[in-house]
Amino acid sequence: MRKSFFAENPSVLWFLACLGLFTLGVTVLAEATGAGVISTSFVKTLGKVLCLCLIAIAMDVVWGYCGILSLGHFAFFGIGGYAVGMWLMYARTEAIVTQNLAERTIPPTPTEINDAIATQIFGVVGSTEFPMIWAFSHSLALQLLLVVLVPGLLALVFGWLAFRSRVTGVYLSILTQAMTLALALYLFQNDSGLRGNNGLSGLQNIPGFEAIPQSVISMAFFWASAVALGLGYVLFARVLSGKMGSVIRAIRDGEARVRFLGYHVESYKLFIFTLTAVVAGIAGALYYPQAGIINPAEVAPIASIYLAVWVAIGGRGRLYGAVIGTAFVSLLSSWFTGGGAPNINLGFYTIQWTEWWLVLLGVSFVAVTLFFPGGIGMIFEKLKRNAS
Amino acid sequence: MSTLLELSGVSVSFDGFKAINNLAFQIAEPEMRAIIGPNGAGKTTFMDIITGKTTPDEGHVLWGEKSINLIGKSESMIAREGIGRKFQKPTVFENQTVRENLAMALKNPRGPFEVLLYRKSTEGAARIEALAAEINLTEQLTRNAGELSHGQKQWLEIGMLLAQDPRLLLVDEPAAGMTVSERGKTTEILVEAAKTRAVVVVEHDMEFVRRLNCKVTVLHEGSVLAEGSIDHVTQNPEVIDVYLGR
Amino acid sequence: MIRIFIMVLALMCLPPTAHAQELQSLLQDHQKSIAKPSRKTVGPALAALVASGLSNVPEFLENWQAKEVYSRKDDGLFFYGVKSTDGLVLTDIDAKDVVATVDPKTAQQIKPNGGVRKEIASALVQFQLSDPDLTRRTGAVDAIARNMAGSMLAPLMGSIDNEPDANLKARKEKLANYLNARFGANSEDRIASIEKIADDLSVDGRAILSQILATKFEVTEGATKANLAATFVVGKDISRSEAYDLLVSEKGLPPVLSDNELRLALEDHVEGGKIAGIPIAQLNDLTKRNTVYDALVTEGLVPERATDASIDAALNRYQIHNVFLEQDRAVTDAAVKAQSSVQTRVGVNQFFDLSLDAVSLASIYFLAAVGLAITFGVMGVINMAHGEFIMMGAYTGYVVQQFVPNYTASLIVALPLAFIVTFAAGVAMERLVIRWLYNRPLETLLATFGISIALQQLAKNIFGTQARPLTSPGWLDGAWIINDVVQISYIRIAIFVLALLFLGLLLFILKKTRLGLEVRAVTQNPRMAASMGINPDKIKMMTFGLGSGIAGIAGVAIGLFAKVTSEMGSDYIVQSFMTVVVGGVGNVWGTLAGAAMIGTFQKGVEWLNPSNTLAAQTYMILFIILFIQFRPKGIIALKGRAAGD
Repeated sequence: MRKSFFAENPSVLWFLACLGLFTLGVTVLAEATGAGVISTSFVKTLGKVLCLCLIAIAMDVVWGYCGILSLGHFAFFGIGGYAVGMWLMYARTEAIVTQNLAERTIPPTPTEINDAIATQIFGVVGSTEFPMIWAFSHSLALQLLLVVLVPGLLALVFGWLAFRSRVTGVYLSILTQAMTLALALYLFQNDSGLRGNNGLSGLQNIPGFEAIPQSVISMAFFWASAVALGLGYVLFARVLSGKMGSVIRAIRDGEARVRFLGYHVESYKLFIFTLTAVVAGIAGALYYPQAGIINPAEVAPIASIYLAVWVAIGGRGRLYGAVIGTAFVSLLSSWFTGGGAPNINLGFYTIQWTEWWLVLLGVSFVAVTLFFPGGIGMIFEKLKRNAS
Repeated sequence: MSTLLELSGVSVSFDGFKAINNLAFQIAEPEMRAIIGPNGAGKTTFMDIITGKTTPDEGHVLWGEKSINLIGKSESMIAREGIGRKFQKPTVFENQTVRENLAMALKNPRGPFEVLLYRKSTEGAARIEALAAEINLTEQLTRNAGELSHGQKQWLEIGMLLAQDPRLLLVDEPAAGMTVSERGKTTEILVEAAKTRAVVVVEHDMEFVRRLNCKVTVLHEGSVLAEGSIDHVTQNPEVIDVYLGR
Repeated sequence: MIRIFIMVLALMCLPPTAHAQELQSLLQDHQKSIAKPSRKTVGPALAALVASGLSNVPEFLENWQAKEVYSRKDDGLFFYGVKSTDGLVLTDIDAKDVVATVDPKTAQQIKPNGGVRKEIASALVQFQLSDPDLTRRTGAVDAIARNMAGSMLAPLMGSIDNEPDANLKARKEKLANYLNARFGANSEDRIASIEKIADDLSVDGRAILSQILATKFEVTEGATKANLAATFVVGKDISRSEAYDLLVSEKGLPPVLSDNELRLALEDHVEGGKIAGIPIAQLNDLTKRNTVYDALVTEGLVPERATDASIDAALNRYQIHNVFLEQDRAVTDAAVKAQSSVQTRVGVNQFFDLSLDAVSLASIYFLAAVGLAITFGVMGVINMAHGEFIMMGAYTGYVVQQFVPNYTASLIVALPLAFIVTFAAGVAMERLVIRWLYNRPLETLLATFGISIALQQLAKNIFGTQARPLTSPGWLDGAWIINDVVQISYIRIAIFVLALLFLGLLLFILKKTRLGLEVRAVTQNPRMAASMGINPDKIKMMTFGLGSGIAGIAGVAIGLFAKVTSEMGSDYIVQSFMTVVVGGVGNVWGTLAGAAMIGTFQKGVEWLNPSNTLAAQTYMILFIILFIQFRPKGIIALKGRAAGD
């Protein structure tokens, strides 16, 4: 079966080959292996881009293939980040606090350690106690389980409610956007238990690996992100191949007709929505240790819309399109906003790209929607067709 | 011949307008039935009620030997009970091949996990080949449905209906926009299908109905005006009034 | 030389003036307590002065207070004195003429201390209360209202009858009533006053009641003799630890040691790595630490600590009461009754106030959303840049204010100009982008989002990131105050009026004009409308312009009470969508219903949890998601075939 799957979907092999080459190339050129052509911070950027590509293919599946324009997938991404961030923050603070308390004459009690950690973490929001939701934060395994469970359950409940009442199209988009906004507003509160708008920070320091330099840690995360992207790609390609893919695309093109064929459309949508939400959570869990900080602004609806922009520019309905679009736009974006792009002096006015990049992005996005609905992926498609 | 579907006392209104008014209807298995009626007679709403798209305000829709009540069931459940529907406008999935269209419609478990783990089987392939032959699309199996002609799309949709292997087929204006020869072929497919199952054809074209050579039900203002052979109903003065008068 | 001459002259003049003075003689009766006043001894002197009824007493008191009274050393007579370059100019207290300019050393300045000055001031108030000058009388009443001293009751009562100004008279009566409630002579009087306060909603009245009902804790063994408010049940009315802390402070019981205090106490007694014979390495456990501490107690090294058992015993032994400071039971009973009646009325009024807030919030949502409802309803187009049109309108208002300094005039210019600007922007967007995407709603959503990003950043580039003010004209400042609880700012009233105006205008356009007819025709069946000679392109363009134009006007309105920033649009866009979706698409009444519902709900949640507007918004959105479950098509839904799929 597996053999025939790859045989039927050669593009998956192509993608995996490209991804593997890219990963190896970056590894060889990175600081960690001595070449130092690629700086550690850029390795981190690339690792983050891979995570964004992972959530982008999830978005492509749910939007490009199943026709649900979800403006909420970045919320799942953020939840994944928070879930893993809670453990990172707890474990690291525990290490520091234990060290501090060890200097006392009398060895600390477990309660003292716990209170000290809580004060350290929640002092910024004026609390000295652990909220309920931190019950599992001491355990990496349980928090990793939450990375998958919380987005999955949230997507399941929300999707069940929304699909059951046959909310479709733009209504559904707005509803998912509302869900995202609700989550962001909740996280912004100081008593949310997640440090309000301070968010979780210091996530780049991995407890237990303090001795290992960041260049190596970033490389490990880069690899993990690459593997996750590869696995995610294969997973989605598998889901989208064969009859399942056929039904999902049919739902996008004619939901009512699929219903009259006897398929329970809502279950399919729920399946796709939940599956992609879980993948989004995993992507977030890999992204934020590389970013180092997560705060509620990351979850705001605008982030989910940017996700849609990347996928649209890359080309909907093609998994590799989503990857290309995301990599292209997010790298370009960090080049422009990071001050890498040269300013243009018009004589009477200097265009500073840090200020004008978003204008350019907005306008080019409109242009893509109007003139190149197939996105960048369409160009590949045409090249392929010309070649054959 | 036993009764397969029975509607009694069914009414539904939209914003005060009674689309279906105390309708009673029966069909046996196997049977071919044609439904005619002027615009706004409630033909489409009638099909919407049977297939679960519209919930009636009152009345019963009973199905099969066990007289299961269909009201309140979802479209997909009703479809799985064995009722297939062809829409007025051909709605096939234009971005997918004819084979994929037919494969999707094949009678198989419909749950997402069953579909995910579904493997192509030789019986399935054989069934698709047979269906394609029946609807004259063997040559087109690997083409995208969007590239088919209008008539071929209609056939494909009928083929998808047959692939579901339903006990009742609801066919809305199958001959609309077809050439004369295509019509002939369509009649053949439908007559063939009606040998083993119940088929309800909604049609405007009297000539087409005459060729189906079956019992005809005339709908008017949401209820049955007349029923009988085509010659019988066309001589009914009320029917003539409705079609020509006003 | 001249000075001496004048002094002699003055001395010669003295006897006849001294003869006529009456206040001076009164003052001389109390010479000592006036010349060297202390807070304790000054009372009788002040009482005598006030009782004398002499017309120049207030003037004397004021000068005394201002340290401008001097006592001549040789005879102890009092004069008003002003220092000048020549010496000290003395003025006679009764005749008010300059007596002499003397060497400052010959007269002693009287410097009453702060306590005395306060006494003088309260004596003065009694005169000021009847002063012919209205401002001084008002000032005196203000002073009493600030201090609420019992001693003011009598003079205040005395001044009421002769008060010419009706307003001030009412105030005096009210204030006298307050004072009487707290300091009245007998219970009956006080109860009568308290019952009057029961009809009073003002903050002052409520404060008086709570002052009468002020309580303190009392810890007793058995019943209390004091005027009991409540006996606390530990664990229900008061937490165990709070209750014990009270016993600690009242009865001197051993305190509860916090974990930290326990540790610090132990650390002081480390001997050779051990405390009381236990190695410190074992002390990573609270129970062990307690045992060690107790061992130290028996050795007498540390004070006793409270244990669970001792706390329980103490709590069983003592009762904790909340007792009124006021001893008179009848008075506190009346006050409790009055307070509950006031609270009920305050509650009703707060509800009313909240309803006003909700109406005002609903008007804002309506204004922000109705433009969206039109474009969404008529054209099925989601305009994500709608929020940026709101922003554009607000910035238009800001720019107009830079050129038209008069705020009223600038508002009159800004409103139509904002409409024109956003109308034009809307039409341009429709022509350039939206009309190419009519059958692809999701792509319209994304394309308009692209426009939204670009516009937002553009605004940031032009106007900067800091908030720009949009100042409302003076006549919109302030609030309409109905009573101490219910008030609403004029801006919000104006926005309400504006919302009503637009509701009327839109209904008129849609129901009574040719444009409205054509819009409705295009909504229901564009092809049929086209075949009847209606140009659907033009209609769509006009509709889009209209919807955008209204957003511009909403922007000016919103800018008046919120700051104008490039991000203000995104603050309203989701709420606007919610309003449209909840209300039901394509219907002005639906938008109104949606706005009303969302406004009410949000204010309702804020009322339940006033500290947290973020939570209110969170709950509101969750509520909307659930609401959609039950009415997927909104409050006012189109039915039947027209609703389509």
